[in-house]
Amino acid sequence: MFEDNAKAAAFKRGMPLQRITFIPHPIAFKPVSLLSEYAKGKDPVTGKPLVQEIVEALTRPLSDEEKKTGVLERSRPRFVGPDTEENLQRLFHKNGWTDDLPIVLPTEKRVAEMLKGTSQPPDKIVGKMTPGSAHEAWEYTVEKVAINAVMAGAKPEYLPVILAIASTKTTSLFASTTSFARMVVVNGPIREEIGMNSGIGAMGPFNQANAAIGRAWTLLSKNLSGAGIIGDTYLGSQGNNLSYNNVCIAENEAKSPWKPFHVEKGFKPEESAVSLFHGWGITHGVGVRANKGYRNQIRELLKVFNVYSSPTSNAGALVLMDPLVAKELKEAEGFDTKEKLSQWLYENTLVTYDGFWDDELVVSFTLPLAKKGVEPFASRLKLPKDAMMPRYPSPKGINLIVVGGEANAFFQAGDFRYIGSASVDAWR
Amino acid sequence: MNQRKTWPFIGVLFFIGFSVAFLYERAAASQQEEPLISVLNPLGKLPSITLVPLAPRPDRLDGRTVYFVDSGFPTTDKFMRELAASFAKSMPNVKTEFRAKIGSFFDDDPKLWTEIKEKKALVVLGVGH
Repeated sequence: MFEDNAKAAAFKRGMPLQRITFIPHPIAFKPVSLLSEYAKGKDPVTGKPLVQEIVEALTRPLSDEEKKTGVLERSRPRFVGPDTEENLQRLFHKNGWTDDLPIVLPTEKRVAEMLKGTSQPPDKIVGKMTPGSAHEAWEYTVEKVAINAVMAGAKPEYLPVILAIASTKTTSLFASTTSFARMVVVNGPIREEIGMNSGIGAMGPFNQANAAIGRAWTLLSKNLSGAGIIGDTYLGSQGNNLSYNNVCIAENEAKSPWKPFHVEKGFKPEESAVSLFHGWGITHGVGVRANKGYRNQIRELLKVFNVYSSPTSNAGALVLMDPLVAKELKEAEGFDTKEKLSQWLYENTLVTYDGFWDDELVVSFTLPLAKKGVEPFASRLKLPKDAMMPRYPSPKGINLIVVGGEANAFFQAGDFRYIGSASVDAWR
Repeated sequence: MNQRKTWPFIGVLFFIGFSVAFLYERAAASQQEEPLISVLNPLGKLPSITLVPLAPRPDRLDGRTVYFVDSGFPTTDKFMRELAASFAKSMPNVKTEFRAKIGSFFDDDPKLWTEIKEKKALVVLGVGH
């Protein structure tokens, strides 16, 4: 499976004929006896003995192609077609430019209409995006984002939100084998202006703005960074159903007893912003430890999430609570700020020493940080083996969003870490 | 009597035949007339690629040093050690070195690359997974 991925990566790095040999995979936590067999065995792609192939790769004289230097320019035409609508739909689908559902074809007229949603010039560069750190980055303009917004079924007034997401240069289809999902939360006046749903059914398929903005993120991730090519730029073993819409929601600021999320991150209440998260899944808190207070119910969910931190992202959790839950937490349980609840959850979701340091992803990502002296992991590695330690690096890793329509007092929570926020107003 | 019964039937057959032919022609014409449109390309701008020639290869490995470098995925260090051992057994006249690159697979290790270059050694880099 990694053959396409490895060869494509070598090509993009200027070595299209890089000499690569393969072994069966995955090998994580396999016994040494099996690894020894693999080492003495054959390359499953070529069928040649591994060691023989390595010797040949190290000694075979270079071909003229392998010695080539120079710069390879790659351009793309501005237009696709002309053809019938049916054939163009088929072409977009075949080329992997859709989410495998029919799209709105981006005619010049439709894109021009979409561009009325922003005052920014069509040729302004928005950014460069990559499916993951091992892949190349593609550049895109305001017009390219507008094209993908048309395809997703967005209205022109949604465009500033979609541009704000694109400005973060963050793909929603991260290349990892672990099947990450990504999520976007919208705050500020833009929510009302474009009619986003933050009330009943906010996380379901009941609102065009929520649906089209979330879908646009998936399409622009594919088309503006080359993400989502199975076997090349996307290796999520199971994939993630959340990637269809990327959990695109607006916070219910009007019903929340606390500060809006974007204000916590330094924006003014009258400003609009998008905030992005990444993780794997969301689970529902219904029926967890009834009658023990919401703090304890939320704590139970947060105790099962993955604990690893990587060089680019610390472990975290996201709680999505109905306004009824938020009000109860404030009025009956005394959490008058989100920060205080995050602090309590941080202190009350401890994990055993082994429960932390034995995790596969912790071994891969967090242990090297600890060994390099990065805190708080370096200190936690020195703790006695019977110590209990915080599950999350800091209380700031536990984020809280109020969403829902007060039909009932429920909450959901996920292992979603905060990536960052971006201004929507900058793209109006 | 029989003729009276047959003529209307033939008439109906002709009517159906003409209608089918008419509809078929109309459908064919409408297909031919379906407008062709061009749409804007949704793809981002590709970066240029600077071609990097592969490092020159020696004729033989005798007397040379080959580094087997692990990039830090789970368990890959154990595999690369096994591979280095298997290689050393097959190639007794080659000096074999195993090294784990520092940090996780996100991290670069310029010191190690410098060491390998200074020794004019060869390298087998294990990637993933």
